[in-house]
Amino acid sequence: MSDFLKGNYDLDEKIVDDTEQSTNTKDEFKQKALNSIGGSMVFVEREQYVWDGDEEDEK
Amino acid sequence: MDFDGLVKGITDIGYDWHKQRIVQNSSGNVSFINKTVKALEPLEAEKANSAIVISAGPSLHYNDTLSVLASSDYKGTIIAIDGSYVKCLKAGVIPDYVITLDPHPTRIVRWFGDPDFEKNMAGDDYFSRQDLDIDFRENSLRQNRENIALVDEHANRSKLIIASTAPANLVQRAKAAGFDMYWWLPLVDDPNSEGSLTRQMYKLTKLPAINTGGNVGTAAWVFAQFWLKIKNIAVVGMDLGYRQDLPYKMTQGYPELVQMLGEENVTSELFPVIENPESGETYYTDPTYFWYRKNTLDLIANSGATLYNCTGGGILFGDGVRQIALQEFLSDYG
Repeated sequence: MSDFLKGNYDLDEKIVDDTEQSTNTKDEFKQKALNSIGGSMVFVEREQYVWDGDEEDEK
Repeated sequence: MDFDGLVKGITDIGYDWHKQRIVQNSSGNVSFINKTVKALEPLEAEKANSAIVISAGPSLHYNDTLSVLASSDYKGTIIAIDGSYVKCLKAGVIPDYVITLDPHPTRIVRWFGDPDFEKNMAGDDYFSRQDLDIDFRENSLRQNRENIALVDEHANRSKLIIASTAPANLVQRAKAAGFDMYWWLPLVDDPNSEGSLTRQMYKLTKLPAINTGGNVGTAAWVFAQFWLKIKNIAVVGMDLGYRQDLPYKMTQGYPELVQMLGEENVTSELFPVIENPESGETYYTDPTYFWYRKNTLDLIANSGATLYNCTGGGILFGDGVRQIALQEFLSDYG
């Protein structure tokens, strides 16, 4: 984009590409959120108690 | 976001991250799996009649649970979770089984004494912030060395019920300590659902899958109830709530709630107070503990089983839960 925005003037305010920073913040947020669930499995099955495969796994 | 929104959101938080981690760990552990929980000997007599599951909630620190158990002549089955194992050993309680589930790459090995403790705990206050054991908090390095020695001394007296999702450093530590290891697979979703993670991990490991309820304490109860088929099962240390004099800052997820919502929004609304109808005492909980409670109560209700809660407080009560004193359980079923 910057290749197309060339002018003969200077901006007072410096423009910063914050795309990468945004991604890092998102990852950091996600990591923090994960830490909050500590010793958890985030997935829960409520109907079955044990399961030991079936014929589909023999395929 | 309010309390209910946070509780409902727990399953969605980090789905992809967690998914990747548990499948990767299961794949990485395949070469170490030489015995499964199917190889466990059937239980007989007192061992089959009753069990005590020792979870690691705050009451284990405040109450004299472990000393009561240690001084009894209880002959039933004792099942510790990873987080309570060293506390058991220090109290003179040798579990028949120790169960571990969590896939975290640096934290879980700490429960068995971590050879890389300094490196793994650098910049991570997860334990030190919450630890009610002041001696451990202030003397972590020394305590860790002592824990390594203690576990090395006693590991061959307990069977380690180790999930396929265990991190590599825990597997290495368990082998070095001399545990007799029996592997299982966390039943994390409906195997018949599209893209089931349970089925993916089963195809890799061929291990029998056991429900977890979302946390290792509930997984220990499911293991006792549905795998070992023990008739009468008590839990201790399963508070799922905090004493009201404990600052919010010492709860499991406080920093993350601050991170997500901003400190000004982390108010008492996120820590609802619940009265235990048996003791009349009140405890506060947090979204994570409340989510564990709901999962556990659902599993109990769906099974028709009775869980004897000998925690001596906390918020685990409801259909299928009978709160009694540990001494009463020991007297009736010991």
